[in-house]
Amino acid sequence: MSERETSTTGTETSDTIGLRMSRQLPAPPEEVFDAYTDAEKQKIWFSILDEEPGVVEISVDLRVGGTQKAVWGPDRDTLFTEVQTFLEIDRPHRLVTESTGWDPSGQSMTTHVVVTFEASGTGTLMTVEQTGFPTPEVRDFFETEAWNGAFDRIEAYLERSGA
Amino acid sequence: MVQQQVIPPEALDRAFAALADDTRRGILTRLGEGRATITELAEQAGIPLTGIRKHVAVLEAAGLVAPEKVGRVRQVRPGAERLDDAMAWITFYQRLWERRFDGLEAYFTLQTGAEGNPTNDDRTKGTES
Repeated sequence: MSERETSTTGTETSDTIGLRMSRQLPAPPEEVFDAYTDAEKQKIWFSILDEEPGVVEISVDLRVGGTQKAVWGPDRDTLFTEVQTFLEIDRPHRLVTESTGWDPSGQSMTTHVVVTFEASGTGTLMTVEQTGFPTPEVRDFFETEAWNGAFDRIEAYLERSGA
Repeated sequence: MVQQQVIPPEALDRAFAALADDTRRGILTRLGEGRATITELAEQAGIPLTGIRKHVAVLEAAGLVAPEKVGRVRQVRPGAERLDDAMAWITFYQRLWERRFDGLEAYFTLQTGAEGNPTNDDRTKGTES
């Protein structure tokens, strides 16, 4: 299909809920792709905005079947972990991974992640689509209302329907 | 096989109503990081305990959070009903991706020598187009 060119494709699966986020970045796709996947560069940018030093550990084996592991948190007792296994690597356009996240209590969740890097103006539009979250019955709630920048829309909805 | 479950409209209304409040959204975001006591939630929100209790009661009624007793300490965790896992994990990943986008943006902004301090610029804006 036309994943590379199309940024407006909706989520096609019917039994999962998903997350979709985009950001325009001021560098060409090759640079964004490399910064995103390079372990040393990740260590720099992943904590670049932290006000207080915390824990950030990152390792990357960038090949199909390889993994990227990130461990971060404010201190050693409160650590988050994400391990992504690379399923598809198409530099500098697209990365497909399976991501398992662990929260500090040790619970984990595995989801499917597609990251695309589209040339846009002088920069790159980086988009992540993540699917496979649990609880199918709230799919519509999250996709259409909760996370698409739309808590405001919920309030509008309430005003319309409630008052 | 796709499991089709329909959310009862009144449950959805309660969830929407519960979410239509900044303090309550803050509570849910905090709980995305793990369970917390009422006191911790009150400190984070900067409002009195009684106020936090009311907000938590609204979230509880909507099934978005659930009480949990650990010994004698009463904690609040993401809801036991329908939104618990999805809410916690989507919050987890949303924060992770925001961190990545913010970090990359700051990294390239510094690299290109664009003016301004990356912690002050408008980095939370999404893309429009």
